[in-house]
Amino acid sequence: MWNTLAKLASSRALLVTFSLGLAQTTLHAEPRLTVISQWSAGAEGAAMDAFGNLVRKEGVTWQHSPVPGFTTDMMNKLRADIIAGHLPAASQLKGPDIKAWSALGATVNMNDVVAATDFAQNISPDLARLHKPRGNWIALPLQIYRVNTLYASKKAMDKIGATVLPRTWDEFNTMARKMADAGITPMAHGGIAWGDTMYFELVLAGISPDAYKRAIMELDDKALRGPEVLASFKELRQLTQWMNPSNAGQHWSVFLPALMKGEYGFLMMGGWASGVLRRGNFQEGKDFLCGPTPNNSDKPIFDMNADGLVFWDTKNRDLLAGQKITAKVVMGKEFARTFTQINGSVPVRTDVDLSDAGYQDCQRDAAKNLKGAIAANQVLMSLGHNMAQPSGVTGELRDVLTEFVHNKRITAEEAQKHLVNAADAVR
Amino acid sequence: MSTAKRTNDVTQVLHLTQPYISPSTTPSGSARRISRRWRFTLTEGLSRLLAGLVLATAVFYVVGFTAWTTWISFTDSTLLPDYTFVGFKHYARLLGSRVFQVAYGNLVIYGVGFIVGAAAIGLLLAVLIDLKIRAENALRTIYLYPMALSFVVTGTVWAWLLNPDIGIENFVRGLGWVNFRFDWLIDTDFAIYAVVIAAVWQASGFAMALLLAGLRSLDGDIYKAAQIDGASPARMYLKIMVPAIWPIVVSVLVILLQIAIKTYDLVRALTAGGPGIATTLPTNVVYDYMFQRGEMGAGAAAAVMLLLSLLLVILPYALFQRFQKRKQYRHD
Repeated sequence: MWNTLAKLASSRALLVTFSLGLAQTTLHAEPRLTVISQWSAGAEGAAMDAFGNLVRKEGVTWQHSPVPGFTTDMMNKLRADIIAGHLPAASQLKGPDIKAWSALGATVNMNDVVAATDFAQNISPDLARLHKPRGNWIALPLQIYRVNTLYASKKAMDKIGATVLPRTWDEFNTMARKMADAGITPMAHGGIAWGDTMYFELVLAGISPDAYKRAIMELDDKALRGPEVLASFKELRQLTQWMNPSNAGQHWSVFLPALMKGEYGFLMMGGWASGVLRRGNFQEGKDFLCGPTPNNSDKPIFDMNADGLVFWDTKNRDLLAGQKITAKVVMGKEFARTFTQINGSVPVRTDVDLSDAGYQDCQRDAAKNLKGAIAANQVLMSLGHNMAQPSGVTGELRDVLTEFVHNKRITAEEAQKHLVNAADAVR
Repeated sequence: MSTAKRTNDVTQVLHLTQPYISPSTTPSGSARRISRRWRFTLTEGLSRLLAGLVLATAVFYVVGFTAWTTWISFTDSTLLPDYTFVGFKHYARLLGSRVFQVAYGNLVIYGVGFIVGAAAIGLLLAVLIDLKIRAENALRTIYLYPMALSFVVTGTVWAWLLNPDIGIENFVRGLGWVNFRFDWLIDTDFAIYAVVIAAVWQASGFAMALLLAGLRSLDGDIYKAAQIDGASPARMYLKIMVPAIWPIVVSVLVILLQIAIKTYDLVRALTAGGPGIATTLPTNVVYDYMFQRGEMGAGAAAAVMLLLSLLLVILPYALFQRFQKRKQYRHD
């Protein structure tokens, strides 16, 4: 009993000292940053720790509260924080969500901080636009993944005597058919809705990047009814014939070991798959080949998924000071290299040197691809990864696409009609 | 003698201090009446207050939030509540959307399959156990055990069992029957029945427990009488025992009904709503709109329609019960 009381008293004392400590921090106006993200463990967690260390080096107290799970779990926490009026100084958000969410709470204008650097001149203008939804910089991109990445099993390629990845969809179909004849399942595709959506997106982007921009990114009715979308559904139907029929509900990574063994031929997945393969001790060139997905246009395309950081206005001087320093760090090359090396992504800046051993060939290829696509104005925003449309629109289109992938009785023509109707419902 | 004297003394003392009030001599004196009334009103008041508080909380939570959700369903709320009135916009959109139609079709198949399946298997198990078998307790525990699992665990386990590559199909093929097919889980048309199988597996033990308790509560003489009259066991159970425990059967059905309508986690773990959208249930649609798509208005509309569909089943039942009761009173 006395023991408990003593414990209680000491914990009280601790609490008091703790709050005194906090009060002192406020008095000294020490820059500090509270940040929430879903990146809690693995490479993502390690990358956030490295991020924290870079910020700490500049004298900012780093307070990261990860919300593990899906991005939406993090967003639900963010929503609760906004309603409660306890905003974090920074939170992970990306794509059109930045615009939607910035309408809910006040954000910090970072125009001065960005203008003081050469950051804006060295990134994709399409990406920049997403981070200044109403003309002002309120968020910054952290890293980029190339969604249109094709992985091929080296063993499967050897079996059909192929050495280079297919460049166009015709080449791809020829090779996949050869694999199927050789007893290999050509497509190692998981069967979760966002993955199905991504497969459609990659086919359409490869058939006509222009049609992708109009149909998916602008929801243009004429483009949605156009021949390119129909051709994409037909190609996608062909791809579904080459998938394992029991893939429904399976995560894509389930098929990785069998892909490496040569039981499957190809996998289309964002660049993060490289990181997973590397952790599994598989080597590019020896176990797998990696490059852009088939592209019928003669110029490079880059289907983008980019993580960003939004800065919320907390009306707190310490946090504001911390936010400005953090923004400067994020725009620097050191952060770009550290963060992307750990995650296996591509730097947002196109002027970062990726030649050292910390990067894989596939990352270098993606970075080169990005530069080329910016020059050709063929940077596309990913639908499956919530970069092209707000989540409400994405969800409606996703229902159509995932149903088409798993129900082989739906014809390409019907699916196109469904897609047009879905777009009508949300436009 | 001494008692009487003491009483007198007390009375005298009391008379000295409070001349008109004498509790010992006048048990129905006004003071006692007042204090008793006071105590009565106090306890009565307190219990009323407590009951009122509990009721108010319940009303606030159930009716209040239901009303609020209904209101939100008529507004343009997206990520946060927004009280711009938009009428039946979300309802019209949902009714026209494919995922919603699929979800309601699934609810009918799943609801009927699950309720009938779980109740029938539960009844069969209860009857078998009722035959005074050996190791009854152990069997009863085993049958009831799945109920102790959460739907998420059930879903995950059955996802493995029903997956053709690693589950039952693969196992039977391994035994040498190479053409064996059991691929409901990945078949767009049959996947919802796979969900039914997993749900029935989980809930039939629960139905058994309730029905067995009902059967055990019956008088043993009924069995004997039926046996003497030469009724077969099947006939005895279906014609005599089940009608005798009919109220319990109805309770089981109603409990299963509400489990069926609120099922969410099973689908999430077993099929993630797939293949494609083939096993999506209305609850999944509600969650998807509310928390994944950031469309609170549409999500609320989906939730309200789910409530309406529940009322559609419950209300006729409640009316029927009331009608029966009235009939009974009249007969009395």
